Amino acid sequence: MANVSAVNTSRQRVLESLHHRQPDRVPIDFGGSATTGIHVSCVAKLRDHFGLVKHPVKVIEPFQMLGEVEDDLKLALGVDVTPVLGPRTMFGFANENWKPWSLNGLEVLVPGNFNVTVAENGDTLIYPEGDLTALPSGRMPKGFHFFDAIIRQNHFDPDHLDSSDNLQEFELLSQADLDDIAAKARAAGTGEYATFASFGGTALGDIALVPAISLKDPRGIRDVAEWYVSTRSRRNYIHQVFSRQVEIAIENLQRIYQRIGNSIDVLFLCGTDFGTQTSSFCSVPTFRELWLPYYKQMCDWIHSHTSWKVFKHSCGSSERFYESFIEAGIDIVNPVQCSATGMDPEYLKSKYGERLVFWGGGVDTQQVLPFGTPQEVREQVLRRCRVFSPGGGFVFNTIHNIQAGTPVENIVAMVDALRSFSA
Amino acid sequence: MANLKKLYDAVLNGDAKTAVAVTQEAIAEKLDPAVLISDTMIPAMAEVGRLYECEEYFVPELLLAARAMKGSLTLLRPLLAASGTKPTGKVVIGTVKGDLHDIGKNLVASMLEGGGFEVTDLGADVSPDKFVSSVRELKPDLLCLSALLTVTAPSMRTTIEALKQAGLRESVKVMVGGAPVTPEFAREIGADGYSENASQAVVTARQFCHPDKAA
Ligand code: B12
Repeated sequence: MANVSAVNTSRQRVLESLHHRQPDRVPIDFGGSATTGIHVSCVAKLRDHFGLVKHPVKVIEPFQMLGEVEDDLKLALGVDVTPVLGPRTMFGFANENWKPWSLNGLEVLVPGNFNVTVAENGDTLIYPEGDLTALPSGRMPKGFHFFDAIIRQNHFDPDHLDSSDNLQEFELLSQADLDDIAAKARAAGTGEYATFASFGGTALGDIALVPAISLKDPRGIRDVAEWYVSTRSRRNYIHQVFSRQVEIAIENLQRIYQRIGNSIDVLFLCGTDFGTQTSSFCSVPTFRELWLPYYKQMCDWIHSHTSWKVFKHSCGSSERFYESFIEAGIDIVNPVQCSATGMDPEYLKSKYGERLVFWGGGVDTQQVLPFGTPQEVREQVLRRCRVFSPGGGFVFNTIHNIQAGTPVENIVAMVDALRSFSA
Repeated sequence: MANLKKLYDAVLNGDAKTAVAVTQEAIAEKLDPAVLISDTMIPAMAEVGRLYECEEYFVPELLLAARAMKGSLTLLRPLLAASGTKPTGKVVIGTVKGDLHDIGKNLVASMLEGGGFEVTDLGADVSPDKFVSSVRELKPDLLCLSALLTVTAPSMRTTIEALKQAGLRESVKVMVGGAPVTPEFAREIGADGYSENASQAVVTARQFCHPDKAA
């Protein structure tokens, strides 16, 4: 490969690629964020496969039940990225005081405030902030592997909406929160791995977050359909929510930056999905009116004050928004769902390769990784690396989290293919 | 006189208040509810479906139109029942076990309602047993299954098997859909039909329902 830069650490490898320069090998992320992770059951199987110390795996993201990728597993998988998580999980409690829990017979570790009850039909119910006296905000169907949000939509008067209701979960970080973030950034920012931060508060209308499963008494518009409808019929309201949310977010980013400086490399900005399998959730003009100005405001602040790169997740057929993402100042796109309409890898790389980093797109998780043969996995991984890796601008990740039930042989075939590609 | 063009536009633009107001006028003037549905509501929803397919409308617009239509249908339905008018067909719909994705399923349900079908929506995370018992109880012409996760799509097969075991498979047509579902998969699991999107689902559903039930 021509012009390969000298790289001594995982972090440098990722940074080279983020700056669109060819690193020594394809940089890899597994476990860096809530959309690039591995289900805890698969983490456990991988640890077994590689003969790593046997112990229950920590669930670091309790909604999707993503497992911690510890340093020994990072090494086995070739991972170059490490997460810096915010003070609280999606259910509003902290990742601390770990305790054992059985996930369909697999012993895992969960945070101390991961408090659940079992409903009559066998579903597992989980409570915001771990408060068993509140209404449950998540439900894991019996025998399944992750939680769904329980929609708690209180009555609201459509003629007298108050945007502060939908801003309930967006607050200035407390001193304790800032201390927590600073400690985590310090621990992760040794220079060995690229650091991938998810502080929260910057996602604009992510439908996974709208139900506010961290809150005990969510107010405002919390129902999925009601929210989508509002993006058309109550646009002023959504503008009010987004504009105030972004003010708070920027103030928080400022305060975080004062504490941690450039010790993080990548910021998870937003997980709102704009694509569906064959189309999108809104038109490009709608995106440009309702989202772009707010993304741009946050990205402008970040780029003029920090060296952080901005990461945007959007599933499905999202290509039509890429030009606007670039205009907003987004550096990195994920998960690059190549199986959706208009998401052909060659086309994406040739059109956007110099302006966007593809963090994902490595292997299809709808069919190939869960249901293909190891040979099919291998072939697709090699093909995707050939397309996406030249000139940098690529961090390998599966398309969205590795789902429970994915055969470990297929994950291993993926890792082997990555190794042989870079050899 | 009730302005039916206004009703048509209200549905198209997702203006529930106007849709309800015009429908009330029409009812007061004793317009035939079946004709109102077949000549105004169904064409309006068909146009909504067309706009969705050509990407002028998206999920929010379709949901809004569906609400306007429902506002009107809620008023008309009791009159239809009283006059003995039959729906285009009876449908039971749900998202399969373990899957919470329900946006697409909701759109399909709404478009079917807008197409003159009587729709019972069982929600998301519906077990094969629940589908079977609903088919037994409600005797629909058509059972619609939605799945967005490839890992839950096999539950469609299980549901069809369960219908067979309950001796109900011949009594109902089964239509499947959702992001990972392909026509090949639909055939393989023994479904009767498949559609790629909500407005095509209405076309396919019509083909399944007996002509004597057509509105
Ligand atoms: C929105 C979304 C969500 C929302 C769902 C909100 C809700 N209440 O539905 C949230 C954020 C909560 C979510 C969560 C998850 N999601 Co999701 N999600 C999506 C996304 C972006 C869009 C789906 C959608 O709503 N589309 C809009 C509607 C209108 O389109 P549609 O559903 O395709 O329906 C149309 C047609 O398919 C058809 N149709 C649908 N049903 C039927 C039925 C019949 C009978 C017929 C005829 C037609 C038909 O008509 C519809 C209208 O035209 C897709 C991306 C994608 N490629 O599709 C991922 C996607 C489906 N999700 C995925 C995943 C992995 C998840 C999670 C498991 C994440 C995780 N935990 O790791 C969770 C699981 C939640 C659960 N328990 O089910 C993966 C699935 C991969 C796979 N292996 O199959 C996808 C493909 C994303 C990806 N890049 O990989 N998700």
